[in-house]
Amino acid sequence: MLHRSLQRALVVATCFLTACVAGFNESALRPEGPQAGRIGSLWWFMFAVAAAVWLIVNAFLVWAVRRGRRRDLPLIEPTGDAPMKRSVVIGTGITVLILTVFLVSDIATGHALGSMPRKDALRIEVKGHQWWWEVNYVDPTPGRMVTTANEIHIPVGEPVQIIGTSPDVIHSFWIPNLQGKKDLIPGHTTSTWLRADTAGVYRGQCAEFCGAQHAKMIALVIAEPRDKFEAWYNSQLDSAKAPSDSVTTRGQQVFLKSACAVCHTISGTRAGGRIGPVLSHIGSRTTLASGWLRNTPGNLGGWIVDPQGIKPGTKMPPNNIDPADLQALITYLESLK
Amino acid sequence: MTVARDAAPLREPGDPMTGPDPVAPAIWEEVELTEEDQELRKKLIRVWGDGPGLWGWIRSTSHASIGKRYVVTAFIFFLLGGLEAGMMRLQLSRPENSFLGPDRYNQIFTMHGTTMMFLFAVPVMVAMGLYLVPLMVGAREVAFSRLNAYGYWVYLIGGLFIYTQFFLNTGPDTGWFAYVPLSGPEFSPGKRVDTWAQMITFTEIAALAGATEIVITAFKHRAPGMSLNRIPLFVWAMITTSFMIIFAMPAVATGSQFLAADRLIDTHFFNHAEGGDALLWQHLFWFFGHPEVYIIFMPALGIISSIVPTFTRRPIFGYPVMVMALITTGFMSFGLWVHHMFATPIPQLGQSFFTAASTMIAIPTGVQIFCWIATIWAGRPRFATPLLFVLGFFFTFIIGGLSGVMIASVAFDQQAHDTYFIVAHLHYVLLGGAVMPLFGGFYYWFPKFTGRLMNERMGKWNFWLFFIGVNVTFFPMHILGLEGMTRRIYTYLPETGWGPLNALVSGGAVLIVASVALFIFNFFRSLRHGAVAGDNPWGADTLEWATASPPEPYVFLYPPVVQSRNPLWTEGRERPVFTGLRTDIRDTLVTTTLDATPDYRQNSPNPTAWPFIAALATGVMFISAIFTAWGLVVGSVLLFFPLVKWGWPDRHDQSVRYSGRGEIVEK
Amino acid sequence: MKRYKAVGDVSELPSVVFGKRAITWWGTLMFMFIEGMTVAVCAASYLYIRKNFHDWPPPPTPLPSLLIPTIGVITMLVSIVVMRRVQKAAEALDKPAVTTGLVVMALLGMALVALRFFDFRSLNTHWDTDAYGSTAWASVAFHSTLLFFEAIETTVFAVLALVGPWEMKHFSDAEDNAMYWYFMCGIWIPVYVLLFILPRWL
Repeated sequence: MLHRSLQRALVVATCFLTACVAGFNESALRPEGPQAGRIGSLWWFMFAVAAAVWLIVNAFLVWAVRRGRRRDLPLIEPTGDAPMKRSVVIGTGITVLILTVFLVSDIATGHALGSMPRKDALRIEVKGHQWWWEVNYVDPTPGRMVTTANEIHIPVGEPVQIIGTSPDVIHSFWIPNLQGKKDLIPGHTTSTWLRADTAGVYRGQCAEFCGAQHAKMIALVIAEPRDKFEAWYNSQLDSAKAPSDSVTTRGQQVFLKSACAVCHTISGTRAGGRIGPVLSHIGSRTTLASGWLRNTPGNLGGWIVDPQGIKPGTKMPPNNIDPADLQALITYLESLK
Repeated sequence: MTVARDAAPLREPGDPMTGPDPVAPAIWEEVELTEEDQELRKKLIRVWGDGPGLWGWIRSTSHASIGKRYVVTAFIFFLLGGLEAGMMRLQLSRPENSFLGPDRYNQIFTMHGTTMMFLFAVPVMVAMGLYLVPLMVGAREVAFSRLNAYGYWVYLIGGLFIYTQFFLNTGPDTGWFAYVPLSGPEFSPGKRVDTWAQMITFTEIAALAGATEIVITAFKHRAPGMSLNRIPLFVWAMITTSFMIIFAMPAVATGSQFLAADRLIDTHFFNHAEGGDALLWQHLFWFFGHPEVYIIFMPALGIISSIVPTFTRRPIFGYPVMVMALITTGFMSFGLWVHHMFATPIPQLGQSFFTAASTMIAIPTGVQIFCWIATIWAGRPRFATPLLFVLGFFFTFIIGGLSGVMIASVAFDQQAHDTYFIVAHLHYVLLGGAVMPLFGGFYYWFPKFTGRLMNERMGKWNFWLFFIGVNVTFFPMHILGLEGMTRRIYTYLPETGWGPLNALVSGGAVLIVASVALFIFNFFRSLRHGAVAGDNPWGADTLEWATASPPEPYVFLYPPVVQSRNPLWTEGRERPVFTGLRTDIRDTLVTTTLDATPDYRQNSPNPTAWPFIAALATGVMFISAIFTAWGLVVGSVLLFFPLVKWGWPDRHDQSVRYSGRGEIVEK
Repeated sequence: MKRYKAVGDVSELPSVVFGKRAITWWGTLMFMFIEGMTVAVCAASYLYIRKNFHDWPPPPTPLPSLLIPTIGVITMLVSIVVMRRVQKAAEALDKPAVTTGLVVMALLGMALVALRFFDFRSLNTHWDTDAYGSTAWASVAFHSTLLFFEAIETTVFAVLALVGPWEMKHFSDAEDNAMYWYFMCGIWIPVYVLLFILPRWL
């Protein structure tokens, strides 16, 4: 609703203020899909009106103060209240008008959000855990359901339905560039629809306080062209890559011998733990520790050995693994693409 | 009704009278006491005075004494809450800072919100009401003065309790609204959340007690002639606030007991595995929580309506509309609560209703703002610190109100909810809408409470530091929220880009700290060295300025008679009063509800320690209830004795005795 | 110089009044608002939980028993009639009648407290069984605080009437006590209907 170039200027200004060029592009003001776009338009409209209202009301205040300070004016008799009555009535009338316009805009935006096309939507179930995201792609064919964690790949330009719940406490799934947030509430199922119209990586933090590591519970939505998405999806369907050399074999043995299998699953092995994220394709993820660390061998090693140092209070215990075994383990895990 | 209409400048506070002013001098003049008046004064001081020393202070039921300690206690909690905020800002000033770990940070942000909302904001407003409402309506004492004492002690015990737990590392850590299931037995073991839940009981009892007293004092203890349409707007604000407390607090009190029960005795109110519902907690909490913020805001509106007439030297424009606006806001505030739950799966049609209500509540507040601006336009503003804080309110609160109208929209709220945009909004409305007028009220009524004026120069510095500090601290948070920064995070990555604005925010917080420090310095310095204030240093119009500064124990020598909405501006050189109250007991006048014609004489109870002891028993009851449900039973038994002693007629009581055969025996 | 000007005298005003002239009447009214809201919140929570169950009460919990709660309600209605006579006696400043009346009311209060224990059992569920049990118990429990408080207060009042020192203002207080008694009984009726009768249809 605001003029295009003005919108762009405001975006640049906020970008500058937040030095977004430094890293993530996370922002409700840089929409990359129709839902966030519509909300963004509503925001700029309301912002413009609000700024004008603030300026005008305070201008009147300043004028009122200055008028009164002129000492040659006598104190006004109450019977001379007619001009004041008029101004209050007019002010109230304009207020009602503006608020009605806001209300109508909100309803219209809500309607628009609900009318995003949903045909052939990709259905993804997101379950919030303390402090990571379980992601299940819903498919009518059981053998074609992908389970992963924290990073959600979606095809660009196609509708996606996020079905949310939580087995523990309330979390909230939010990707500001794409859509408003939806709470994940134990005992309830929520549903939100979004679409990414530009390829990219979109980041969002958990938006409902969920305990000690609420601050480090981050989700990534990776929007990519259809063919790349399908390639990724199919690779996720395969069992975890079997070890192909002595290092990765040793690494797998370390994994199975240690406490890891109690909580984590690697498909095709006897590790079937359901407490922590699935690790079958961990090598293909860009981040670790629910979006907090970049997925590098060094970070992975640090996380395995001392998760409490990185996310104090997290459910993963420290693991005392000797350096050679650790190296093998890291190599094995990074090979699980 | 006439208003002084000469063009000569009216007296500036603290200065000797300037210029000839034939009508105005009477406004500042104190009443000269005759011999008879002096005799009466001596007797009343004997009857109404508190006992000496600490024991006298503990036994006191004087609304002025209790009001003052209540305000001071609430202010100390404000400082503690501010320290917590300071620690939070220090931690967040840089990405991946290590000043506070997650557990400590989570306790601190919880204590910050809990302290500010439950231990500072509501109590300070109730306390201002308890002190000022009797004075403004011309009463000597608040109704149910023993209940007043009990309320204060219960509040103090509750506050001390939660802070003791906090210092013992058992402080609550699930936020000031403690959502289940996080705050339930499975995910928050230990006694942290139970502490929080019972603190609510203490503060809720105190608030309900205060609210009851304020309503009844305002309805029944008004000076003769103060009909409903002559009640000061501050009193109307406190009446409305008190009714809101009465209807809103039970929801959170009941809800917090449900939470305590889920944690202690395995009930399933919020356990979805057995049919309970996490959303039930949210409904119960926010049904209280939304009116709560208006409970905090409304007295501040009353403070503004007290300051504006005095410092523009004319009555408020649009009195009937102002009263209707207060009452409408009070009613409407009960219809908004679901706007805190827009991200939950509540049906869209329902959500739209709450959007409409949340948007429309801006109208009565807008009307009030327009009426104030009209008053200033038609008046002759005089810049003293109280008026500065009121002007600061306009610039600051309006930003908060506008961001509030934005987040009333479901669509936009789904982006802004639970981000720093909300943190910005709530601080703008609370600091701009409640705390700025409150500071204005402190500067305004300090002479009445203490008999001295605060330093004006320091006051101006105080104001500007606060105004700039608040805006520098909280404006950037709007941007941070929209850039993805969610609430209640103890740290963040540098790549988010939130670092620079967070550093700016933390810098602004330093200005706020400086401002409050200056206020405290000004407060103590003025206590000893401030200019002596007479009864009415500002030349104001309402009855509290007809008492001594500070008021004598009997407050009003005679019940004043009110003949207009601005009694001190219209009384001229004679203050009309009624004689005839007894001088041997604490006699107070009760008038009719609508027209305030004298109705009967109420004996205000003598000071006693039983409310204090009852409060201690209440403390035992609810603190032990954290550990065992039997605590409630044992506590009730303990509470029985002081309650009975509190109400049992005193042998030394001077009330009218019944002789046995229908004869009335006056003592 | 400013002076006081006496425009009237209040020394002939009474110091004891009845009904809504008295501040204690208003205090009782505020208490009724507060407790009324508390009971309403419990009832609302009970109804809110209903949507989480197919059947009500949720199996295997049986329907609540009606016998003793109904006896309790009838006793309450009787007590209202008796309390009305106490109120009239207080307004007529008839001390002996007030004393007798308060003693009878104290006994009725104790009876109601005893019956209340059986009301809990009549729910046929426990507070920790499920959310139905929790909300049903909560509704009865919160009302019980009103009942216990009022029964105890009436008993203390009866003792005061028996041993003194009785003051004129206690006639007015007796009237306020009566008003609160009506409220305590009156507000139980909808709770009783909600918990014991409606599940047969809900």
